[in-house]
Amino acid sequence: MRLACGEDVREVAVSEGGEGLSVTVDGAVFALDVRETAPGTFVRRRGGGAETFHCVRAGDDVHLFWRGRAYELRVQHPRERAAHRAASSSGLEAPMPGRVIAVNVSPGQRVLRGEELLVVEAMKMENAIRAPREGVVKSVGAKVGDMVNPGAVLVELE
Amino acid sequence: MPLFRKLLIANRGEIAVRVARTCRAMGIPTVAVYSEVDRDALHVREADEAVAIGAAEAARSYLDIERVVGAARQTGAEAVHPGYGFLSENGDFAEAVARAGLVFVGPPAPVHRRMGDKQAARRLMAGAGVPVVPGYDGDDQSEAALLAAGERIGWPVLVKPARGGGGKGMRVVRGAGDLASALAASRREARAAFGDDRVVLERCVERPRHVEVQVLGDAQGALVHLLERECSIQRRHQKIVEETPSPALDQRLRARVCAAGVAAARAAGYVNAGTVEFLLAPSGEFYFLEMNTRLQVEHPVTEAVTGLDLVRLQVEVAAGAPLPFTQDVVAARGHALECRIYAEDPARDDRPSPGRVLHLSVPAGPGVRFDSGVEAGSEVTVHYDPLLAKLITWGASRAESIERMAAALARTVVLGITTNHGRLRAIVDHPAFRGGDLHTGFVDEHLAGAPPDPCPPAEAVAAAVAALHRARPAPEGRPPGAADPWSSVGAWRLGAPS
Repeated sequence: MRLACGEDVREVAVSEGGEGLSVTVDGAVFALDVRETAPGTFVRRRGGGAETFHCVRAGDDVHLFWRGRAYELRVQHPRERAAHRAASSSGLEAPMPGRVIAVNVSPGQRVLRGEELLVVEAMKMENAIRAPREGVVKSVGAKVGDMVNPGAVLVELE
Repeated sequence: MPLFRKLLIANRGEIAVRVARTCRAMGIPTVAVYSEVDRDALHVREADEAVAIGAAEAARSYLDIERVVGAARQTGAEAVHPGYGFLSENGDFAEAVARAGLVFVGPPAPVHRRMGDKQAARRLMAGAGVPVVPGYDGDDQSEAALLAAGERIGWPVLVKPARGGGGKGMRVVRGAGDLASALAASRREARAAFGDDRVVLERCVERPRHVEVQVLGDAQGALVHLLERECSIQRRHQKIVEETPSPALDQRLRARVCAAGVAAARAAGYVNAGTVEFLLAPSGEFYFLEMNTRLQVEHPVTEAVTGLDLVRLQVEVAAGAPLPFTQDVVAARGHALECRIYAEDPARDDRPSPGRVLHLSVPAGPGVRFDSGVEAGSEVTVHYDPLLAKLITWGASRAESIERMAAALARTVVLGITTNHGRLRAIVDHPAFRGGDLHTGFVDEHLAGAPPDPCPPAEAVAAAVAALHRARPAPEGRPPGAADPWSSVGAWRLGAPS
């Protein structure tokens, strides 16, 4: 089983053991006495004390609140890893759901690093999609007025 | 007898919830309005009744004057509270409400129009002896005229839409070569948001503070200020942390700034609650920025130190009651701080991060207030402002309210969507913030460096694994609208549907 935080992937395993659970993270073993007190709220007992933390799962997304900070993790499947690597190099994806309000480039056009390619509006803010590197536009996957979802490839660079 | 038989709240999110709560305390039944994606929203259930007013897109619901006024008439509401944003500063809306024979909880249409036009407002204030930032507010909107004005004012200059507010469409122009692209972007945003693409130019004051004065007037002509707020901590020209009193003002400067606020409100012919915003230069000089003809997002800090309920006062004044106090009794007790919790990702250019709130834990304790527009299960969509909730703390001193804020933030849990929670904690913990050394570029100056590691330590990962292993399915009878994130937990089922 793997839990990923961005590019950082941890190999984890869990088993019942003695007082609580035995959890292995990249070979390091943690003994955890944890119980759920309300949906998403957990108490970890340790020695004479206890601490509260929060954790919810939606599909493969795991949301954790631990010692004052929120973290986002993902349960990773072997196939998904390869797909993710392939996708991230091929094109520029929509970062969020929104409406395309400007398209400044067309196929064949040479663009410089940092050049504004498209503008996506979401939550009343304009968000510029900029070229991550110099290159030639291979294709443009959206037009002005389109509603786009995260992951939709907006521009491909050669 | 309540002041109104019924009041319609022409808004959504935390402010609609907040207005409904005061109305309930006053014995006034409320009507909520909602778009189709807000059917299950918290604000709908906080009101006594609710009316569907259209599609998700704000222009076809919350910004549709006819539908909102229609909902008020249909339900027999006698008054309309506009909240902030949406139609709150729209003169046509205030007029339509009045024409329908209803009471608008805010200033009348001409005041909105006078102050909503930054060009006209600048001229009016300059005429009333209120200091304005050196700049250009001319009618000639050609690029050549604006370029000439920029050269005369001296770069860098600020391009601002003549209408609107909230930092929308504002751009800093560092030199003549950047003007054309900044103008195009500013005009595009202004046209989309306010339907008017005229701009004004203002000199950029270096390291300015944002200090504003809360004013309140009644229909009999009484006008008071409720002291100042400092809102220098901003990102993208939008406030994220506010406080009162401002650590930048001594008694003399405070008296001058507040007097200027009252003078500005008087020049505007102001009635009801409003805010006069100033830029405060390090030299102590201050300049009129704009007047917000509505309740402000950050009004709770003023409530905390004055002990007043601003929404109650708004409703009373709108009903024709005189202000129940005079200027000489207005005093601040202690210090209050507000942090705005937004669905946005500071690590990714403050991009909005819509999604479902899967878990919400609210802090409590002495001097802690949490005004939320969401609860566990709420869907945060791309259609509206990403403000989720406001955390307000009060303390006998600035140091105490900051300590309380730091402790409360550490116990404020929003899971399911990315928020600016980590950034708020970093601000509140920063030595420059604790020292009161603020300016509007604070976030860029102090927090632009490498963000903290977004990944949890191994022990935290282990805790997450243990939690997922121990999690029980949710009990029957979940609150309405609550998500069921538990459908796939309890076992590590690979390939579970997301």
